[in-house]
Amino acid sequence: MKKDKKAKANNQVEEPIILDIPEEEIWTYQIEGLAAPHVNKPYKHFTFKKIIFIISIVVAVSLSVYFSILLIANKDAFTYEKLDNGNYQLTKFSNTGFIEEIDIDYVTSVEYDKENKDPETNFTLVKNEKEKVTEIKQFAVNEDNVLKVVNIGPDVEKIDGKAFYSCWALERIEVDENNKYYCDIDGVLYNKDKTEIIMYPCNHDEYLRQKYGYEAEIFREEVTEEYRKQIQTYVVPSTVKTIGEMCFNYANLRDIYLPEGLETIETLAIFKLHEPQAEDWNVASLENIYSYKPKGVVADSTFTSQEALGEVYNSLPEGLKYIGSDAFSYNQALTYVYIPESVTHIGHHAFWDNVYKEDGNLKGLVEINVAKSEEEFDADEIGDQWAPQYDYLLFKKTINVNYSAQRK
Amino acid sequence: MGGSKGNLIGKVKSLVTELKTHWNTPAEGKYVPYKEYKDLVFAVGSNYAGAKTLEYITFAASCFLIMHHYDLPYLTFSVINIINMPLNYISALLWWFVCDNLGFLPKKTEKKFNAVYLSMIAFGLSCIFFDWSSLFDQTSGFITYLNGLEGLNAKACFKVFGTHFLYTGWVGARNIFWRKKLIPKYGRYKYSLYCDAIPKCIMVVLIGWLPIYNVPDVASRVWMANLLFACFNVFGFANNIEECSKRISPNLQERILVRSYPIKISHIFNSILAIILPVIIGMLRYEWADINVFRFVIPITFIVAVCFTMFFAGRIKERIPQPPLEKKVQIKFWDGMFGVLKNKYLRINTIVSLIDALGNGMLPFVTILYFYTFRLSGLPYSLIVALISFAGTPPDLLSPYFLKRFSYKQIMIFYQLSRAIGNSAIVCAIWFCGENLVLCGTICIVVLFFMEMTKTVPTTAGHDMNVRIHDYQMYLTGERLENFASVFGWFTDPIKNFVGLLIPMFLLMYGFNSNWEVLFVDSVRRNIIAVPLIVDIIGFSLMTIPYFFWDYDSRKQNMVMEVLKRRAEVTEKNAKEEGLTVSGGYKG
Repeated sequence: MKKDKKAKANNQVEEPIILDIPEEEIWTYQIEGLAAPHVNKPYKHFTFKKIIFIISIVVAVSLSVYFSILLIANKDAFTYEKLDNGNYQLTKFSNTGFIEEIDIDYVTSVEYDKENKDPETNFTLVKNEKEKVTEIKQFAVNEDNVLKVVNIGPDVEKIDGKAFYSCWALERIEVDENNKYYCDIDGVLYNKDKTEIIMYPCNHDEYLRQKYGYEAEIFREEVTEEYRKQIQTYVVPSTVKTIGEMCFNYANLRDIYLPEGLETIETLAIFKLHEPQAEDWNVASLENIYSYKPKGVVADSTFTSQEALGEVYNSLPEGLKYIGSDAFSYNQALTYVYIPESVTHIGHHAFWDNVYKEDGNLKGLVEINVAKSEEEFDADEIGDQWAPQYDYLLFKKTINVNYSAQRK
Repeated sequence: MGGSKGNLIGKVKSLVTELKTHWNTPAEGKYVPYKEYKDLVFAVGSNYAGAKTLEYITFAASCFLIMHHYDLPYLTFSVINIINMPLNYISALLWWFVCDNLGFLPKKTEKKFNAVYLSMIAFGLSCIFFDWSSLFDQTSGFITYLNGLEGLNAKACFKVFGTHFLYTGWVGARNIFWRKKLIPKYGRYKYSLYCDAIPKCIMVVLIGWLPIYNVPDVASRVWMANLLFACFNVFGFANNIEECSKRISPNLQERILVRSYPIKISHIFNSILAIILPVIIGMLRYEWADINVFRFVIPITFIVAVCFTMFFAGRIKERIPQPPLEKKVQIKFWDGMFGVLKNKYLRINTIVSLIDALGNGMLPFVTILYFYTFRLSGLPYSLIVALISFAGTPPDLLSPYFLKRFSYKQIMIFYQLSRAIGNSAIVCAIWFCGENLVLCGTICIVVLFFMEMTKTVPTTAGHDMNVRIHDYQMYLTGERLENFASVFGWFTDPIKNFVGLLIPMFLLMYGFNSNWEVLFVDSVRRNIIAVPLIVDIIGFSLMTIPYFFWDYDSRKQNMVMEVLKRRAEVTEKNAKEEGLTVSGGYKG
């Protein structure tokens, strides 16, 4: 058996080969087991072969180009899927490049005006009022730089939390008053009873600037106290129990007020809040997470003063139970976090990348405060790398976690 | 014990003697002196490291510059490919004809080619400086269709179209000019370094410093970025010296020896760089997303690598038995076409690559695992990347043994199956224990380690077999027809392009676009990694089938080399008898 193997291996070893090829046969000599050489000789059925070759190529290319064009074409700006109950779900909105406002109530299509040559105004959105839209699928509007306003119709029953993702120009989501399932507070999307805040549009600050009469965006050092209050502060109403998945991501907010009674902060809910900058890179904006103990119902999201909210403290709210994964990631302007005793679940990377080094000094969230003792805290559902980490001797080191800490 | 020690010392001594004796002149039956081995280590090392550094700058969604700064929609890249596809067919014809005749064309033909290329440049420039879309009815179906394309509008589409004309014309004209000038002196594989290295360095610097990523309108950003990267791609800096080294000897064993030792050692430069670069990048304020990566880190690294490459490249030679350039076989267009179609092994490889297209368009899942699942950066990232890439080194040193012991067919079937099994294990880990980062991470790293370990021998076998296939092609048609071999792509590329759109469309459905941060959402990330991987697993399993028809072995290859040597010998003799001066030939 061994010998066989060895023999087999030896078969692979190259044997010296000597071929006796006459000079006149150098271009025609055929090696056994291989095709014969064909050098500077005419081919048989040359024209026929050429025709077959060309036809095959043309067919292959045409079919492929045709199907590819069909696949990438945004034939319709709005794509819907019919539901079992005869209504429709909006599955995809592909902006034609000039649509700044859409209504999601009936099946809609774009019609062009042949007489008008201006691409910015030569279209109208036509609704088929026999076909109601009742659902909006996840990522239905994704990566849009033009759309500013979304109007949700009265019959919409289900909006996925990820329905409007990376809509960089989106300023407002308005909900019809007669909608039984959703509402909005000044362009921010909530469920009807306002127990869940679903979506704070990425560019909501632009809407607020127009509302309060600011002509242009104000950046970091130039921000005034008034501007900060009106544009960069948000009060989550006291009825809210859940901040939805990706709710505040990329918003331009410096201060957020959370109510006592809030129980859940979902995955990526307060992710990467930033001030858009004219140059190069976005600067982290979120500096403070305050909580308030309301005296009565706080229904307005506009910040007037801390006194109006009742007792205010710099912390996550008492009563909070659930913090989702990456809930507060990439907020390097945040400097203080206190996790109350009520929290029982923290998702992985919940405070990821909230600390950084500048000129050798740690900045951002340099420590984190936890009400529970270490033993109690470890007994909870705590995800991997939940606390921020920073570069330490070329590796990563977790910031200090102060257990059994007192709130500031 | 003492005996074995003495034995070892004896072996070392004889190795030293061998090195000294054949430092400048090769041993009998061999072609490469050891001095050239030394040059290979440094030249390939720096060339490979430089080429690898360039992988950080690509016009693709997976590039950090594109991902974080340009912020271009994912599907736009596929759309641009489709816009460029028709012209690629025409330009490829001209390109192959020029390349496979090594730039030496009849004068009249050369003039015609140059006229075509210059017209292309002129048309391309006109598209860039003038908005051709304004000549069309803005409400026509054509214009509204273009306006609706992901990340583009009609104006940008015309500019992208023009950019491809400019690129094709520019590259084509340069190709004729430099091949004629440089191939006789430097050979066909490394000549391009001498005309491309400096402009490439300039483009690398410009890519980092031109602030096109700050253009606010997406469609304008797309066409400008496309133009910038087209200019960048006009100049090459591929792994030319390693390509040259694959043809360094007509002796098959010597070729494999060169590939297994000096070449493998040379890759250490890149391994070191792969550790140092992420550490340096990890020290920057925004790590990979920091623009200074592209302004300083990449350009400096690349320029240093270029300097070393050019310094050591001089003495590396290609040694394919071939007639002198004065007596080379002139390839007519249709002969080139039919010549490659006759090559059975190219046909098998084509079928394999067609099946491989099933995975086209998928995101680099290993990168996603590192950055979005495990959040690696700095030294930990470097160490894991280095550990996994090192996994391939020990088996590669044993490549000569494996290539002797197993046939190419066995190696390639094993390779495809090992990919399928490895990817299946990763899918299971992500699907069933994705929440447990430590467990999932450990399984993935171990599997990736084993996949890398089992990859290098098949890769070496594949490189070697590609060279052999072109030796066989030279036997069949008198020229290697390496460029005409792309005719298979004419049939497969359209299909690949179409298939390659399926995964991006699917990823789009799961929310993936130009904003990679959607990958922080666990459910999204799981689908985006796992589902395309499942498609890939099916592809790898199917890819084993064509290899069952592979029957090209070392014996056949040696006979082919004998035929080539004999042809070179006879043609050179005839040329000398005719009183011609000969250049560029090699008799073996």
